[in-house]
Order: sequence, then structure tokens, then C-alpha cells
Amino acid sequence: MGQPLHAVLWDRAADLVERCVRHPFVEGLGDGTLAEEVFKRYVAQDAYFLRAYLSAYALCAARTRDLEAAALLVDLQQGTLEELDLHAGYARRLQIDLAGVRPYRAAAAYCDFLLRTAWHETLDRTLAAMTPCMRLYFHLGTELARRNGGGGRYGDWVRTYSGEEFGRLVGRLESLLDRVAEDTPAVEDCYLYAMRCEHDFFTAPLEGGP
Amino acid sequence: MHKRAAGAGRRFESSPFVKEAGALWKQATTAAFLDALAAGNLPGRAFNRWLEQDYHFARGLLSFQAIVLARALRTAQATLIGGLASLDSELSWFEAHAQRRGVSLEAPLHPACRRYTDFLIRAAYTEHPRALVAMLFGVEVSYLAAWSALEPKGAYAEFIERWSNPRFEEYVRALRRLAEEHHDAAGQQLFNEVLVHEREFWRMSREE
Repeated sequence: MGQPLHAVLWDRAADLVERCVRHPFVEGLGDGTLAEEVFKRYVAQDAYFLRAYLSAYALCAARTRDLEAAALLVDLQQGTLEELDLHAGYARRLQIDLAGVRPYRAAAAYCDFLLRTAWHETLDRTLAAMTPCMRLYFHLGTELARRNGGGGRYGDWVRTYSGEEFGRLVGRLESLLDRVAEDTPAVEDCYLYAMRCEHDFFTAPLEGGP
Repeated sequence: MHKRAAGAGRRFESSPFVKEAGALWKQATTAAFLDALAAGNLPGRAFNRWLEQDYHFARGLLSFQAIVLARALRTAQATLIGGLASLDSELSWFEAHAQRRGVSLEAPLHPACRRYTDFLIRAAYTEHPRALVAMLFGVEVSYLAAWSALEPKGAYAEFIERWSNPRFEEYVRALRRLAEEHHDAAGQQLFNEVLVHEREFWRMSREE
């Protein structure tokens, strides 16, 4: 009876998700009008964030005794490494220096939140903090592909995050969340705060400052 | 009369951490909120908001200090244990005051407070223990400097007295000695980040 937890949380985040879908950064990404300078800043910040995200998966893996979950967490780490490869490709093509990235405030706050949760809190909360990133990107990828097709200037970004393989990974993460977590205020708070961080993360490269 | 550590901030300006922080030092230790508090025209509501958020901050700081203590060099531990015991009294004192003023300590964390405590606790696990002592020095020395610059009078005299007393200054001096045993770029960077969060915390206190 009732919806699974991941769907309940996604519904509660509907306003924030809508704000992300309509975010000028996301719209520009979809129709190709986003300035390349802004995209470059975003890629650098996102690569910085993904390093923290990778650590957080590793900390989740260290916290579970369930082998199926452990196998999934390895796949998720692999997926994150592939995303980092994609970023390295952008970096080569667009000449972005990924080695000396200084995080903007939005990226630092998101990474601090994620890593504090992963190191200091429980597995259920950490998974709740990590799921919005995956689900939101799949949603945005799918939405942009529907709206504008997979082509355009940033078509490979759209194709990556609307792909079936990425979607399957998101689904598996959400089922792990459903198995491990319950609908508590702390779990909800982690999920919604992470979604807020996602939104602010899109704003920062447009503003271009720390 | 209580003895006071008036103007204690100036006695720390010779610290390499403070010197290299440049303009951040002043930004982290002065604030419109503090000016209004000292002048006696800070609205009670603004003070209560600060009290509630500073309590949340102190709870986060307790976690930070406990992890730092566990990871610190043996020679630093006596000072850190003393600091933790004081922080426990501080939390009880906050709880009593909040009750008297009818302030709920269950209010959600303001984003500025959340970012600050997330930063501290994340760093407690991921940064080198030597740099963590520099961070704690940053937290405490900026607080001491901010409060000890004020005259203890008016409605908030008790609060000003509390955070500008000589025992607090003595503790901050001990942290300074520990931090300065190893002053490097990584520690300085974290010290500076602490000051940025201090600045944002004061600004949060003033906004409505």
C-alpha cells in the first residue's frame, strides 16, 4: 500500500524540481543557448562535486553488510567515474583546468553537506542525500531530450543523462533507498536539502563568483 | 566586578594566522548585529534568532571538537578536553536562557548555520589533525575578538561579559600555541574559511 519512499520524497520535492527544470541554466543547456564560458565553469564545479560524490558512495559501501547493496554501490561508483571521464573529455575539448578548481560557495556547501552526512550520519540519510542528484539529472536529461531532441550544442550532456543505462542506475539507487530508509523527518530533510543544493549549484556558474 | 579581557582581539593580531587572513579578520569579528547589540537597539526578535542559531552552532561545534580531540596529537588533548567541558556548560547555559526567553531550540537551522556546521564536521573527518587545531583556533579567536571589543552594558551586558572573560582568553591563547606549532598553507586556508563562515553567521543574525 502507498507509494515507495523514493516516489514520496520526489513528490515532496516537486516545487524545487520544477524550479530546476525552469532554471535559466538548464533551459540554456537544453536549447543550446547557454554561453560556453558558463558551461565551462559548470563542468569544473561539477567535476569537483563528483569527487565528493564518489567518496560518499565509498562510505556507503563501507557501511553496508548487504552484498547486493555493496555490488550496486560499486556500479554507482563506476558510473560516477564515467561521468568524470565525460568531464575530462569536455576539459580537453574546451580547455578547462580541472586540477586547480576552487569551489564556489554553492559547490562547497553541497560537498560539505554530502560528506558530513556520509562520514557522520547513517546510511539511510546518506542515501537520501545522494538520490536527488541522480533522479534530478535523469529527469532533466529526459525532459530536455523530449523538448529539444538529443542534438544541439550540449547534446552529449542531454544524451548521457537521458540514457537508458543511466536511468537503470537511478532506479537501482532508489530501490536501495526504499529498502534501507524510512520516512523520517531526518531522511526527508536530507533529500530536500540536497535538492535545494542542486538548484543553487545551477545558479552559481551563471553568477560566476565564489 | 568581573575582570574582563577587553579588546582581547588586538592581542592576537600578531598571530601569523590572523595576519595572513588579511581583510577577512575584520569582516569576521565586526558586524552590524554586534554594533546594534552594544548600542542597546537590537530588536529582541533578532537576538532570539541569533541565540537559537548559535545554540545549533554550538551543538555542531561539540561534534567537531569531539572528533578533533580523538584525532589530535596527545600533546593537544588536555586543552581540547578542557574546551569540550566548557562547551558542555555553554550548551546548558544556552538551554536555560532559551527557556527563560521563550526561545524554541527546535527551530530549523538557518542555511548559514547549516553550511558552517557541515563544513566543520566534514573537515573534522577529512582534514589533517594539525589543520583542525588551526580551524578551532579560528572559531574561538574570532568569537573572543568580536565580543571583547564591546562594552558590557545595556540589556545584553551579561552576554558580552560571558564571551570576553579572561579564562576564555586563556583558552584561546592555548589554542593559538597549538595552532602555531605548525603554520602552513593548508591550515591557513581552513582558518580563512572559518572566518568566511563567521562573517556569514553574523550577517545571518541581522537579516530578517
